[in-house]
Amino acid sequence: MVDTPDWGHATPFDDINGDVAIVGIGETAYTKASGRTAKEIGAEAAARAIADAGLEPADIDGLTYSGAFADFDPAAFHEHFGTTHELWSSPWGGGMSWAGTAPYLAAQAIKAKQAKHVLNVFPVAWATQRASMTGGPGEVHATQTAKQNLEVPFGWFPQPVYFATIMRRHMLEFGTTPEQFGAVAVACRRHANLHPDAVMHDKTMTMDDYLASPFLADPLRLFDSCLISDGGAAYVTTSVERAADLPHPPAIVRGVAEGLSSSGTHWSQQRDFTSTPQVFSAPPAFAMAGLQPNDVDVLTAYDPFTVVSLMQIEDMGFCPKGEAGRFVEGDTLFHDAGKLPFNPHGGLLSHAYVLGIAHVVEIVKQLRGTAAAQVPDAEVAVYGGYTGAHASTLVLTKG
Amino acid sequence: MAIKRADFPLPDVEDPLTAEFFAGAARGALVIPRCDSCGQWVWYPEPTCPACTAAGEDDGTLTWQPTSGRGRLFSWAVVQRPFLPAFAEMIPFVTALVALEEAPEVRIVTYVVDADPDHLEDATPLEVTFRPLAFPTVPDRHVVVPMFTPSL
Repeated sequence: MVDTPDWGHATPFDDINGDVAIVGIGETAYTKASGRTAKEIGAEAAARAIADAGLEPADIDGLTYSGAFADFDPAAFHEHFGTTHELWSSPWGGGMSWAGTAPYLAAQAIKAKQAKHVLNVFPVAWATQRASMTGGPGEVHATQTAKQNLEVPFGWFPQPVYFATIMRRHMLEFGTTPEQFGAVAVACRRHANLHPDAVMHDKTMTMDDYLASPFLADPLRLFDSCLISDGGAAYVTTSVERAADLPHPPAIVRGVAEGLSSSGTHWSQQRDFTSTPQVFSAPPAFAMAGLQPNDVDVLTAYDPFTVVSLMQIEDMGFCPKGEAGRFVEGDTLFHDAGKLPFNPHGGLLSHAYVLGIAHVVEIVKQLRGTAAAQVPDAEVAVYGGYTGAHASTLVLTKG
Repeated sequence: MAIKRADFPLPDVEDPLTAEFFAGAARGALVIPRCDSCGQWVWYPEPTCPACTAAGEDDGTLTWQPTSGRGRLFSWAVVQRPFLPAFAEMIPFVTALVALEEAPEVRIVTYVVDADPDHLEDATPLEVTFRPLAFPTVPDRHVVVPMFTPSL
């Protein structure tokens, strides 16, 4: 089935291997409902990333952000920093899949001399906003006509229910067991327990705890599911030449790609129901980087539910399709002992649900050697982004 | 920006994209759009056949056609947490994807009813049954929709 996939494609990208690097990272506190706005959170993350890069706000001449959320756009940037300079910008950055492709936009802008230092920002305040949303983060789906009329009335809503059926299908096709999904949740929690900033830093989880957690939609348990959080992060991308003048060792962008599912957000109709568009994204990203999955020292991948982690691990080529359940058993995903250290900050499952932006910040820290749960000698780090309709692959190496 | 439509989460039976689906259910037919030119079943509904439109051939006109109402269980979940207030009195319930007999690539999102969830399996044969869907949060309204039940 995956040999000749016909349900999606990759976006054509130019080769940018070695052109740009991530040189600054900034994060806010990650919390439950904080009462803060996403705009405030975005401004704080931006200020910290700019300072970390050894730059001033006036040095930032490019901004990528999420057009769908638009909480920290060029107007918000200038309002917060009191600046008025020209700012190249794109609304196709931010979090989720786009947290992985924003460095590509930066590379293109830098190559075209439209910008020198490009900031990518993504804040979210869904923990604060949740009570006013229809079906929480599912609200954006419930507004789509086909989904509002053909899915929601039938109880197939919101995300935990979608992924419960995907999880069921993975179990039917490949024999994946509850304990194998649990291995992802337990590994992420173990990492969060080592990370002082993780929302779940103080709460441990054993496999028995996982198995005892209540079903939201059988076979999907509470502990298969990500948190709902307030928080945000940002990073600064510049040319590798410019990076040499800045204070931190750069994380060099080696490969980047984006995959798209032709059924979009109509997951119920996706031809290959137990795969992600990572099938289309990972191969060109690794090819651009001149690297293979077995070269990767640390992986962060978008993990809204445990089954998405298994699918991405398969679809990026870390194991054959259908074998991720067996692959992740034991200590495979542990930061210090595993053969594929995975989400060493704790991921969306146990660090914070900030939609992937912290995943990218984490791999930069891993390459700098400053992560809370540091993978020994990490030199090649990868982010797998995901939104359902999209996936992205970002390959970074130690500068 | 919560959804404001007063009868949500009942379907909007007047929405032009999906109105025929519910009109069919009201008269006891499971109808799905099919391309007059290439014969492809197109699900979810589109204004015209995407394949024929992309190829620039004919006009890709879709006609809602009746199906056998038979299918096989593709996947399902037993929902135990009410994600909307409307579902609070329904839980636990089985929401499912059913692959249609004549077009298995068409997956109908539906309820499986009159079935023990513990007895559901991959590819369990199912057949359509038309039932009124009503929610306590939407008083005095119902919409007849296709649900599925195990074949005898």
